Amino acid sequence: MKLAYYPGCVSRSTGREMDVSTRIVCAALGIALQALEDWNCCGATHVPNELVSVGLAARNLAQTDLPIMTSCSICYSNLRSAALAMEDPQVRAKVNAVLTKKYSGAQIRHALDVILEVLEKNAELIAIPLKDLKVAPYYGCLLTRPKGGIDQPEFPTILEKLIKTLQAEPLDFRLKTFCCGGPIFMPQVQAAEDIAFLILKEAKKAGAEVIVTVCPLCHLMLDAKQKALEQRHGEKIGIPVLYVTQLVGIALGLEPDELGLEMNAVSPMPMVKKACERMAQEA
Amino acid sequence: MAADEEFKQEVLRLAGPEAQTCIQCGTCSASCPTAHLMKPSIRRLVKHCLEGEKEKALRNDTIWLCTSCQLCTVRCPRGIRPKAVVAALKELAEREKIKGKDQAYEELFQRQIKDYGRIAEIPLAGEFLLVFPQGALQSMELGLELAPKGKIKLAVEKIRGRDEVRRIMEELGKG
Repeated sequence: MKLAYYPGCVSRSTGREMDVSTRIVCAALGIALQALEDWNCCGATHVPNELVSVGLAARNLAQTDLPIMTSCSICYSNLRSAALAMEDPQVRAKVNAVLTKKYSGAQIRHALDVILEVLEKNAELIAIPLKDLKVAPYYGCLLTRPKGGIDQPEFPTILEKLIKTLQAEPLDFRLKTFCCGGPIFMPQVQAAEDIAFLILKEAKKAGAEVIVTVCPLCHLMLDAKQKALEQRHGEKIGIPVLYVTQLVGIALGLEPDELGLEMNAVSPMPMVKKACERMAQEA
Repeated sequence: MAADEEFKQEVLRLAGPEAQTCIQCGTCSASCPTAHLMKPSIRRLVKHCLEGEKEKALRNDTIWLCTSCQLCTVRCPRGIRPKAVVAALKELAEREKIKGKDQAYEELFQRQIKDYGRIAEIPLAGEFLLVFPQGALQSMELGLELAPKGKIKLAVEKIRGRDEVRRIMEELGKG
């Protein structure tokens, strides 16, 4: 399988482990990623003018004939929204009038569904089955919105399916599609942090050993902010938060440094060790 | 004050005419992750727009508490996109030159896209905090968490197609 890879802006800084683990996991699964030529920001959630937002995303879509894969839910949602909007001939004409390379259709995929597709056919690639590992599947908001993407917006199950493929146990996680607050975390810090803490508390209540995310902003809110939130609320959470690509990488037997595990704020290493010990006991 | 029909029509043009069919059921408010902080609620915000209450619709924190999560939008039984109503109001607030920290953040974000083609997160946060330091403590905590992990990148990446990106923002932003 060959795909164009759209890493998104955070892959350069706060979301580096997402990028590192995406590349290595895809390589291990035989998914060839071609860097998307001269890609630009998708606009994230900060370009209110819809036509501009469509134009920014469409410029990326017009750079390749290959299907485009991203591991960021915000990018995924924006690229999809643009492709949907470009079905309107009037919108397409307006946007194409300013694009250098013209848009003529695109296929957009999230790393989650690409990886699941390959793993379901190649279960023998799982070197360390994550047996009995209790995983909170956290979708966040934009992976399934707008409608018509990777899964239904109301009760998606694709992440649970992947977790089961790795032989881990997906928990019934009530707030799995509740927004993490990330998009407003700079100007509305209090509101955003309150939501993030609510999600962390819920994961703890559900008995999660690890939370898995599919978006770098969710990851930042739940992982990098976790310690500060614990201190502010006087309550220990202590749950590692992994990108879906990191969790898959662990099961594939890739090394911690290959997956950027040392870049996580809450160390996932005790959890990784436990998973390896469980496997050794079974053997 | 008389209803501002022109304002109402501009919201409908930007957010879609289906917004007129709102039945005020409140599904949007019930779905919103920041509803508890919003005054007016997202439901009432739509009502203000349809009643041409321009000032009430534009001068509030509600539009800036929206996380753009789109749960309201996938759930609305009338097929309205409340998130698009919020986006329309953000744009109209910009046209009216209503200033504040949230508007400043969006402006900085869009200026980076215009100038570089990409976002450089750390310089963006730094520039914002220089003007609005209220969240500096939380950002510093976050910085201390990210720095030892090699996740603080100060350098800015510029794409080759910056002229094209600028054209997208300027030309498409007119209509």
